[in-house]
Amino acid sequence: MLELLGNGIVTVLQWKYMLPLLLGTFAGVVGGSLPGFTITLTVIVILPFTYGLDPLAGLAAMTGVYVGGSTGGLITACLLGIPGTPSAIATTFDGFPMARNGEPGRAIWLGVWASVWGGLLGALFLVFVTGPLAAIALEFGPWEYFSLFVLAMAMVAGLTESSLLKGLVSTAIGLLVTVIGTDPIGSVPRFTFGSEFLAGGFQFLPVLIGIFAFAQIMTDIEKLGDPATRAKAALRTTFEGFSHFRVNWEIFRQPFLLLWSTVVGLIIGILPAIGGSASSVMAYDQAKKFSRTPERFGKGHPEGIIASEASNNANVSGSLMTIMAFGIPGDAVTAVMLGAMTIHGIQSGPLFVSQNPGLAYGIYGAYILAHPLMLIICMAAMPLMLRLTSVRLAVLAPVILVLCVMGAYALNNTMSSVYVLLIFGVVGYALVKAGFPLAPLILGLILGDQIEINLIRAIMTDDNVWLFLTRPISGGLLAAAALSVALAIWQHIRHQKRTAGEEDTDF
Amino acid sequence: MRLGRDGIAGLIGLAVSLALLPYAFGLPQLPIVPIGPGFYPKLVLTFMAATCALLVLQDLIVQRRAAAPPEPAEPAPTRAYGLVAAAFVAVAAYIGLLPLLGFRIATVLFVAAFQLVLERPTTLRQWLILVAVAVGTSALTHVAFEKYLSVLLPRGLWTGW
Repeated sequence: MLELLGNGIVTVLQWKYMLPLLLGTFAGVVGGSLPGFTITLTVIVILPFTYGLDPLAGLAAMTGVYVGGSTGGLITACLLGIPGTPSAIATTFDGFPMARNGEPGRAIWLGVWASVWGGLLGALFLVFVTGPLAAIALEFGPWEYFSLFVLAMAMVAGLTESSLLKGLVSTAIGLLVTVIGTDPIGSVPRFTFGSEFLAGGFQFLPVLIGIFAFAQIMTDIEKLGDPATRAKAALRTTFEGFSHFRVNWEIFRQPFLLLWSTVVGLIIGILPAIGGSASSVMAYDQAKKFSRTPERFGKGHPEGIIASEASNNANVSGSLMTIMAFGIPGDAVTAVMLGAMTIHGIQSGPLFVSQNPGLAYGIYGAYILAHPLMLIICMAAMPLMLRLTSVRLAVLAPVILVLCVMGAYALNNTMSSVYVLLIFGVVGYALVKAGFPLAPLILGLILGDQIEINLIRAIMTDDNVWLFLTRPISGGLLAAAALSVALAIWQHIRHQKRTAGEEDTDF
Repeated sequence: MRLGRDGIAGLIGLAVSLALLPYAFGLPQLPIVPIGPGFYPKLVLTFMAATCALLVLQDLIVQRRAAAPPEPAEPAPTRAYGLVAAAFVAVAAYIGLLPLLGFRIATVLFVAAFQLVLERPTTLRQWLILVAVAVGTSALTHVAFEKYLSVLLPRGLWTGW
């Protein structure tokens, strides 16, 4: 295994792979540091540039975006109090007060170094645990896969803070979109109404790009009318004198904090589609509970920054484990990666590592190397990034939209994908305005075909539907799904009591 | 009886699923497969109809409980929905014009128009930035995609360019 890992790292060290990884990491750090841009949007923008590349080069670029973006979000979180990405939300709690206390450099570099160490610790798990996880997944039959997908969707819908029902409706919409086109067994046209445009169904990536990119950009544009948004002026920050050695000492004198935050991030990352924001908030909460000085949290405490940042970078390795072992995207970013893998004809799942060791260990290598690269980028380009965070939306939005249109067009060099992009852009924005979360919809879209195929396979193998409940793993997964929904209902009732009448935009 | 935002969204979802359900029931049964192509769509549509109906019901209960609208604690943030509508129109026009004008011309026009819609330049420097971003985006993406990534971008039916 170590030899394969060594080979993977050496492979990625070639310029052919190193350059996309470097550019991806840079784009990730910059994209992550732009409030409202998100890592998903960055990876969507990068996606079309990877079509013409070797599969490993393309996936290395995306891994770089993922790692860089997870760290980039802390820059504005510390300096403006606005997380560049949702995964940096808990970093604002202590990073911003620390920066306001005159230590912006310490705040940012504590976060960057914690990200590096958390991410590298997560890499250990990624390399050594993905194989055993995939071995477990190999035991799965169609019943277990069906139940696993149901669990994934139940968890995502259940995590919708505003309304469980809306999460479920959103999932159903995603599933419905996958039904359009021809059925996977007999190629019978379904819901095509004689239209050639609908005959082939909807490709996943234009739908995903349309929904996410438009929902994000249009929501940002809408806020241009708000004077408070306009007041967020250009960032001009100078760093106080600080020492990298001291910052690292602050991290390593509490090894348990670093390790536990990493484990929290990893576990949340492995659970399908929960995402970095939950991991950073949970790690922050855990750090506060275990701390000897919990009263200092929220006032610029280094422990808060370390916990949040170590956790959200370890979360990336957890998400990569899920996609490589089970073929289920851990979040929207890995959903795009899954789409990119499909374009290159690569099937992710339990056999992925054993059938594509070169590619799998190359991804591990890219993930590991992305961390020192990210560190070098942050050291070299911090002043540039601080300037980029002040680029106006009027300039940024049309450029992103052009890249989105090109991303859809370049999929198969036809305008039909671009029309799909526009249709789902409108749908995505309408859903966000109606308060529907997009994550369950995306998961429904990704898993819809697989759910149907596994359901049919299971019934074709044995028409006893009770097997879904009586087979131990399948039954356990369905029980966990039911428990997840029950928990969500309980949390929803509690949430409604607390925040009656509040409106929030939930991507 | 008044419906809120969730109720209206639920009604739309319910209407769509109920309208599609008969179609799913009408799909042919295949002789070799125990469950036909309509089985899964029926499951999905029933699930969607049920959750949408529950959403409508939940909204009705919420609306009934809230007899009077609560006093807003602070003024609602201003939202520029006009700009959003204009942005969608600009994107639709761009997509419509792409095959007619070609990527290079359509992109310059779109990026310039979009910037104008969002923020009208007031100084010469801002106008220069607007033009530079429009031309630069078109030129750089064209070079990157056509020269390096071998993606043939749309040529214009009217312009041939």
